[in-house]
Amino acid sequence: MDHTSGLEKILRGAAIALVLVFFLFPIAWIFLMSLQTNETILRIPPSLAFTPIIDNYTALITGQLRTAAGSLQLNFMQNMFNSVMLSVCSVALSLVLGVPAAYAFARFKFRLGEDIAFTLLSFRFAPALLVLLPLSLYFKTLGLTNTYIGLIWVYQLICLPLILWIVRGYFEDISPDIEHAYRIAGNSWWKTFTRISIPLAKPGIAAAGLLAFIFAWNNFIFALILASADKQPVTVGALAFVTASGIQYGQIAAAIIISITPTLALALYAQRYLVEGLSMGAVKG
Amino acid sequence: MTAAATQTRAPVKQSRFMRRALPYILSLPALLMCIGILIPFFTAVYYSMLRYRMNLPAMKGFIWFQNYINFFTDPKFWNTVQISLTYAFLTVSLELLLGLAIALLLQRPSRLNNIASILLLLPLMTAPALAALMWKLMTHPDFGVLSYLLTLVGIHDFKWASDPDTALFTVVLVDMWVYTPFIMILLLAGLRSLPKAPFEAAALDGVPRSFVFFRITLPMLMPYIITATLFRLLDSIQQFDIIYAMTQGGPGDKLLVFQVQAYLDFFQATNVGRSAALMIILWAITYALSNVFIKQWLKLRERAHGAH
Amino acid sequence: MSQLAIKSLSKTYGAFKVFDGLNLAAGGGEIVVIFGGSGAGKTILLRLIAGVEEPTAGTIEIAGHDVSDIAPEHRGVGMAFQNFALFPHMNASENIATPLRAAGADESAVSACVAKVAKLLKIDHVLNHSPRELSNGQKQRTALARALAASPKILLLDDPLRNVDAKLRFEMRLELPRLLRQSGATVLYVTQDYKEAMALADRIAVLANGAFVQTASPEDIYTRPATLGVARLFGDPSINTADAVIGTGGGAHVVLGGTRVPLAESYAGFAGREVIFGVRPEAVEIGSTGVEAEVIAVTPLNERTVLLLQNSSGWEFLASLPSAAAGIPEAGSRVRASFAAAGTHIFDRQGGERLHG
Repeated sequence: MDHTSGLEKILRGAAIALVLVFFLFPIAWIFLMSLQTNETILRIPPSLAFTPIIDNYTALITGQLRTAAGSLQLNFMQNMFNSVMLSVCSVALSLVLGVPAAYAFARFKFRLGEDIAFTLLSFRFAPALLVLLPLSLYFKTLGLTNTYIGLIWVYQLICLPLILWIVRGYFEDISPDIEHAYRIAGNSWWKTFTRISIPLAKPGIAAAGLLAFIFAWNNFIFALILASADKQPVTVGALAFVTASGIQYGQIAAAIIISITPTLALALYAQRYLVEGLSMGAVKG
Repeated sequence: MTAAATQTRAPVKQSRFMRRALPYILSLPALLMCIGILIPFFTAVYYSMLRYRMNLPAMKGFIWFQNYINFFTDPKFWNTVQISLTYAFLTVSLELLLGLAIALLLQRPSRLNNIASILLLLPLMTAPALAALMWKLMTHPDFGVLSYLLTLVGIHDFKWASDPDTALFTVVLVDMWVYTPFIMILLLAGLRSLPKAPFEAAALDGVPRSFVFFRITLPMLMPYIITATLFRLLDSIQQFDIIYAMTQGGPGDKLLVFQVQAYLDFFQATNVGRSAALMIILWAITYALSNVFIKQWLKLRERAHGAH
Repeated sequence: MSQLAIKSLSKTYGAFKVFDGLNLAAGGGEIVVIFGGSGAGKTILLRLIAGVEEPTAGTIEIAGHDVSDIAPEHRGVGMAFQNFALFPHMNASENIATPLRAAGADESAVSACVAKVAKLLKIDHVLNHSPRELSNGQKQRTALARALAASPKILLLDDPLRNVDAKLRFEMRLELPRLLRQSGATVLYVTQDYKEAMALADRIAVLANGAFVQTASPEDIYTRPATLGVARLFGDPSINTADAVIGTGGGAHVVLGGTRVPLAESYAGFAGREVIFGVRPEAVEIGSTGVEAEVIAVTPLNERTVLLLQNSSGWEFLASLPSAAAGIPEAGSRVRASFAAAGTHIFDRQGGERLHG
């Protein structure tokens, strides 16, 4: 199979290059836009010859947006904070709730466990609005609309199935004898769980946590429906940003770049976990 | 868990009740979560049988399946079905072809190929809503770089998402940009996990490559292809983020897929009954699909983790 | 008072009954080997005693106390698993120290104890290695050391020599009895290797078809097997058997291939009974009297030589003679074989139990 001719090698290389251009160009181009003034962005034809500026970023960070009409207060950093807050808390809560449950489902084969695991899994694939629309009415009655707690609770819909199913697979891979040996050696169930089971499932917990973070960060529809401007994450915030009149394109680009950087950085950092995580353990990464 | 923690300090006796209850205590939060999902779900089922418009509260009443029956004669509904299915079919088939091609390109685990496959993760890790905004900037009629590039090949006034004729093409393109890497990565993992022996034997016998691909690679890769396809199909038929962020369902009714339509029914037309009925129909479709998918996925998962 | 007592213990999984009504008592310092084929439930029995699984019915008493409600960590047992079950994220030394630390020993006592037991098991040079870096033999010794470290009153060893190579198994078979005696613990040792059972046991409990068929000293198991099944499990080559009927004309006897084989007179009471005549290959004597047979094959095996014989009616049986003995016949020659009373057993053909002559 490896008797590739020179021509084929060149064709393959060209194809790979083409693929990389298609998939990386948008990110690169938006990044370049974020370093430009409106004047250079609006040039036709577009040109790579410009003096990079960081004004767009400083404007976003300080919240003082210069527009054609004057200065505008837009607190994009609040969206950023909301994203961090929602993603971190959701994943943390999901780990606290999900890891023990994943352990229970892996170790004690019981009917209720299977039912819960499959219900959560099947709702992972159900349309989000199905649950969100009635929930938006319930939230109004309960006073949970536009609260972090309400949002974090709904975000479990994304994080929990992921953590349950990935971590469960890792727990199943641990021989029960190892846990038994530790207990017989004189340790309580809880100690065995924290000193043996969790450390041995750590790669899985890390993978699931990272992936859950990325999915929570990238989520759009939940906060669109259940949050107002002051609690919205970047995904929803950036949309409002675009429609707000008079904002400079460079600033929109900078907002996008700031918004996608955390997930992209995490993805690159943890890429070896991603393959397994994305398929919820259906293929080994 | 507090109960378990006190156990360490408790006397030697361990109650049988605690031992039996342990699995249930551990899964209690997940169970509550489950109930928390099921309540709104059943509420949605109930709403779907109501005449319920928030702006006309006096009209509210139980009408059994009337909302569903109305759909049969409702061209708006059939438009939604048609757009959703077209969108799902186009995105998944194109992504499958492109993803398979890229996976085959990067099959050999060389350093360069590995770096390429990692870089291809980036679009997939971009929030779909933000990806739509990125493409919106690139296809802007005034300064969009893609619009400019098209003028270079002689296509002027290409309106991308704002033209009814090209709106679907534009959102499909964005969907492909985000999700092709997903299929690529799954198939790449599948390709690399295939046993080497059949391929070596075929190479030794001088079997033509097209034959190897169609008779060996493709059949062996099929479980991965099916899993990836079903997974994407499930997502794609419910696409909201990209379409909403790009066009909010427009221009006109061009991109009113299920979830966008339901969103607008609920928040703009405040027709809760219709919106819920629409969601229940979408749910039925995804439920059927997800049952097939979960079976397929569990099979692959067992293979990856070894049978227990 | 026995250190460990098992009373009418039963375990079922759904409709599948592993064992039913097991009874066993072991005194302090006694080594009891649980012997049985794979799937007999030996491992499950150990798990029940350790407390990591619950019995369906019956009780387990340790030092006279019912331990049904006592968690595994408080039962004071040590256990070595067939697959070693070492903690992969701890090195050998930490593995061995686990039961000591759990018992709250201070660090100096822990390290002293680990050093002692590691020296005893000859793994003191690999204490800093992680389980991944240990050979199978070293893993096995580490697992044993961990089980022994806290000097448990009861030691459960689940076929510890199963997954080690033949040479190491041979060495350990010699070493283990001393080691286990030294520990002073009551030992339950699971194995499916009869030589291991014979070498280690004070008593052997034979587990088959969900029950203890016989619990007795190795010698008794061998010389007075309770059933044909037990007789077949112990002995290599295994016992020869032939269908026969007990006759009484002119003294109790059976007829094999037209030749009368006399039995002890006490068997006369079973006249006319359909039986299985069993004789250990070691009890077959080649001489001038007895069943006429042709030597089909001769297989020398170190100290003993095994002959495959066939009598006129086609019954094939084995004889195991000391290789040093004079006059071992050649293949193809015709000989006469008689059967020493000590190695001859008569079993009921229906139930398989040994008839006491």
